[in-house]
Amino acid sequence: MSNIMSNKFSKYRMTSFYLAACLVVFALVGLFSRGLNLGLDFTGGYLTEFSTNKSLTQQQMSDKLAPYLGEGFQLSAAENGTYWSIRTPDNGTSSNAWLNDFISATNQTNNAQLSDLTITAQDAIYIGSQVGEELINQGGLALLAALITILLYLSIRFEWRLAMGAVVALFHDVILVLGLFAWLGISFDLTILASILAIIGYSLNDSIIVGDRIREIMKSKKEDDINVIISKAIKSTLVRTLITSGTTLATIAAIWFFAGESLHGFSVALFCGILVGTYSSIAISATVPQLLGLTADYYQQQEEELCQLP
Amino acid sequence: MMKPVKKQQNRHATWQNLILAITLILMLFSALPNFYQDNNSPNWLSELGAKPIKLGLDLSGGVLFVLDVDTDRAQSDKLKDIVLDIKTLAREYKARAIKVSQVDSVTLKIDFAATNNKAYSQLFDKVLSIYPELTKTKISNQQITFSYSDQQQVKFRQETMKQTLKTMRGRIEELGITEAVTQKQGKNRIRIELPGVHNPEEAKRIIGATASLDFYQLATNAKSINVKRIRDEHGQWLTLNNKAVFSGSNIKNARAGQDQMGSPLVNLSLDAVGGKKMSEFSKKNIGSPMVTVFSEFYRNTNNELVKKSKVISEAIIQAQLGAQFSITNMQSSSAAQELSLLLRAGSLSAPVTIVQQRTIAATLGADNIDNGIKALTIGVSITLIFMALWYRSLGLVANVALAFNLVSLLGLMSLLPGAVLTLPGIAGLVLTVGMAVDTNVLIFERIKEELRRGHKPLSAIEQGYNSAFTTILDANITTMITGIILYSIGYGAVKGFALILCLGILTSMFTGVFVSKALTKLVIRSNEGQLLGIKS
Repeated sequence: MSNIMSNKFSKYRMTSFYLAACLVVFALVGLFSRGLNLGLDFTGGYLTEFSTNKSLTQQQMSDKLAPYLGEGFQLSAAENGTYWSIRTPDNGTSSNAWLNDFISATNQTNNAQLSDLTITAQDAIYIGSQVGEELINQGGLALLAALITILLYLSIRFEWRLAMGAVVALFHDVILVLGLFAWLGISFDLTILASILAIIGYSLNDSIIVGDRIREIMKSKKEDDINVIISKAIKSTLVRTLITSGTTLATIAAIWFFAGESLHGFSVALFCGILVGTYSSIAISATVPQLLGLTADYYQQQEEELCQLP
Repeated sequence: MMKPVKKQQNRHATWQNLILAITLILMLFSALPNFYQDNNSPNWLSELGAKPIKLGLDLSGGVLFVLDVDTDRAQSDKLKDIVLDIKTLAREYKARAIKVSQVDSVTLKIDFAATNNKAYSQLFDKVLSIYPELTKTKISNQQITFSYSDQQQVKFRQETMKQTLKTMRGRIEELGITEAVTQKQGKNRIRIELPGVHNPEEAKRIIGATASLDFYQLATNAKSINVKRIRDEHGQWLTLNNKAVFSGSNIKNARAGQDQMGSPLVNLSLDAVGGKKMSEFSKKNIGSPMVTVFSEFYRNTNNELVKKSKVISEAIIQAQLGAQFSITNMQSSSAAQELSLLLRAGSLSAPVTIVQQRTIAATLGADNIDNGIKALTIGVSITLIFMALWYRSLGLVANVALAFNLVSLLGLMSLLPGAVLTLPGIAGLVLTVGMAVDTNVLIFERIKEELRRGHKPLSAIEQGYNSAFTTILDANITTMITGIILYSIGYGAVKGFALILCLGILTSMFTGVFVSKALTKLVIRSNEGQLLGIKS
C-alpha cells in the first residue's frame, strides 16, 4: 500500500521537477533578453535622495527635474510620493550640485506662487564607476568561491550524487531569483547580492536536511526501492521544512513591510528565494540523485567493498 | 554497582550546566549596555569596559570615503629617486660614460661602455647594497637592468598601504573623531567611515589632502641636470635640487608658536631618520635657504593624476639643526597654524584620490534604527507565538533559548572591537532567529518521531537531540562557509551582514543545542505521560 502511495508521490515529484526546469528556462530567457538592472554599486554614478512635504506624482516630479538634469536620469518615488531617489550616470559633468539649485529655485517659486512645496536633501552618494567594476568581479568571485567550497564539503560529507542534487537546487534558486529581478527590472545592488548569498545558505540547509534523511534511511537497509526512500525522506522532513520556511517568511515579510525602503529589494529577494528554495528542496535536490543513478543499496555496496578487503 | 555511575553522570551534568550558566551571564553582561538609551549606562558598567554595539554608518549617519592609493605611482617615484641616486654614485665611483634611465615603474636600465669594468662592478655592488630589494639582470655586455621582482612589488605595495593607513588614522585623530573605522579594502583602497560627521567638506579637506611635503635645497648650479624649477608665492622661479632632503613622513610632531619677538613660527620634531638627515644636511648648508614644497595630487578632466606643487616657505638655515627645529618667516599666525596641521597630518608617499564619497543624513539613520527594530520585534513575536502554540512546553523552552540566543549575539557584537551593526546586519539578526528556530524544530520533530516509535519521553529527548545534531552541524557548517566567504570578500554593509550571520550560527548552535537541552531536562524530569501531544 505504501508503495502505491510512494509511486503516486514520485510521479508528482517528477512533474514538479520538470516544472522547475521550465521555470529555470523562463528565468534564463529573462536574464539574457532583459539583463539585470544593475544598481549604483555596480554601474557607478550619482544617487541623490530628497524628501518633499507634499506628495507628488512621478510625472510631476519628473517635469520639475527635467530643466536641471536633462535626459538620462532615473527617478523613483517612495512613501506616497514624498521621498525621491534620483540616479544619474557618471558622465564627468553631472554631480550633486544641481540639487542645491533645484532646492533654492523651488523655494523661490514658492514665494512667488504661494505654494508651499519644500524640499529637504536626505542623502547624496557618489560612487566611481571603477568601484562598480571591482564590485562585479568581487561579487562573482564570492559566489564562485562559495559554490566550490560548498560542493567540496558536501562531496566529502555525502555521496557525490546527493551533493550534486544540493548544488543543482542551489543553481535553480539563484537563477530563479535573478530571473525575477530581470523580469521585474528591480535595481540589483549590493544588498541583493547579500540576500543571494543568504539564499544559497538557506537552499543548502534545506537540501542537506533532506539528503541527510535519505542517507539515514539508506543506511538502515529497511527499504530497497529508491523511490520509496526519497518519498519517505521528504515526507518525514516536510513538517520541519514548512515550519522553518513559514516562520522565516513571516520575519522577512516583517522586514519587507516595516524596515523601510532601503531593505525593500533585499526582502523581496529573500522572500522569493526562500519560497523557491523550499520548493526546490522537495522537487529537485532529492530527484537529481535519482536521475544520476543513485541506488537504494549504495551504502550496502560500500560496506561489501570494505568487507572484501583481506 | 549502578549508583556511582549515575552520580558521576549527574556531577558531569551539573558542571555542564554551571559552564552554560556562566557563559550566559557573561553574554548578558556584555549585552547590558545596549538596553540603556543615549549612552546612559551606569558608571560601573562602563568602568568595567562594557560598551554598546557600534552602529554602522547607515544607522548613525555620517560620511563614508573610499580612497584609491596609487601605489604604482609611488613605486615609480621611488625608482625615480633611485635613478638620481645612481647618477650621483656613478660620479663618486668615477664610472663614466654611463646612462641611467627608467624603463617603467619597476625597472631601470643602465647603459655603459665596455671598458673600466671595475668601477662599474663596484658601482653595481654599491647599488645592490643600498637597495637590496632590487634584482640585477644582465642584458648585454653594455647594458644591465635593475628591477623590482614581483615579490618585492607586493612588499612595496603592502608597506605603502600600511604607511598610508597610519597617516590616515593620524589625520582622523587630528579631526577629533574617535569612532572612525579605517580599514584596507581590496588591494589598494582605503575605506574610512566617519560616524557623526555631517559636514564632509572639512573632513574631506584633511583626509583627501592628497598632499605631500618635501624639504629641498636651493640648487647651487642652475644648469645641472638634476634640478627642478618651481615658482614661489611671489611668482619668482626657484631652482631646486631634484632630490628632497627629507619628506614630511619623517615629521613626528609640529606645533605653531611664536619666537621671542612674537613673530609666528612652526616648531618641528623629526623621527630618528629625519633627524640624522637634517643634521647632516644643515651642517653643510648653514646660511643657505631651505625650501618647503607642498604638493597636491588631483585628477584633471581626462581623469589623469596630476601633481601640483607650491612653495609654502623659504627659510634660511641659521645653525646646525637636529631632530628639533623651527620654520620661521611665517607670514601670519594662521598660516603657521595651517602649516602645522598639515605637517602633523603627515605626508603620503603615494598619491591618494577619493573614489567614493557618501553622506548619510542622521535623521535617516534614526528612522532606519526604528524601522529595523520594529521589523525585528514583529518577526520575532510571530515566531515566538507560533512556537509556543505548536510545541507547548517544549515551545517555551525553545523561546527561552531563542531569547538567550539574541542576548548572546548582542553580547558578542558588543565585545568584538571591529563589529559594527548595520541595516543588513539587522536583517542578518532576523535570519539568525530563523536559523535558531530551525535548530529547535529539527530537534523537536525528531523527538516526535522517536515518541511515535514508542520510546519513553526521556529517552526520546536524548535520542532526538543526538540524531538531530549531525544534521544541524552539516547545515550550519555550509551556511558558515557562505558567511565566512562573504565576510572576507565583502565590504561595509555586506561585511556587517556576514559577521552577524557567522556569529548567529555560533550562538544558535550553542543556545539551540546545549542550552535548550539543559532546559528541556530541567523542565521534563520524569517520563511524563504525554509529550508533544503524543501519548507514550
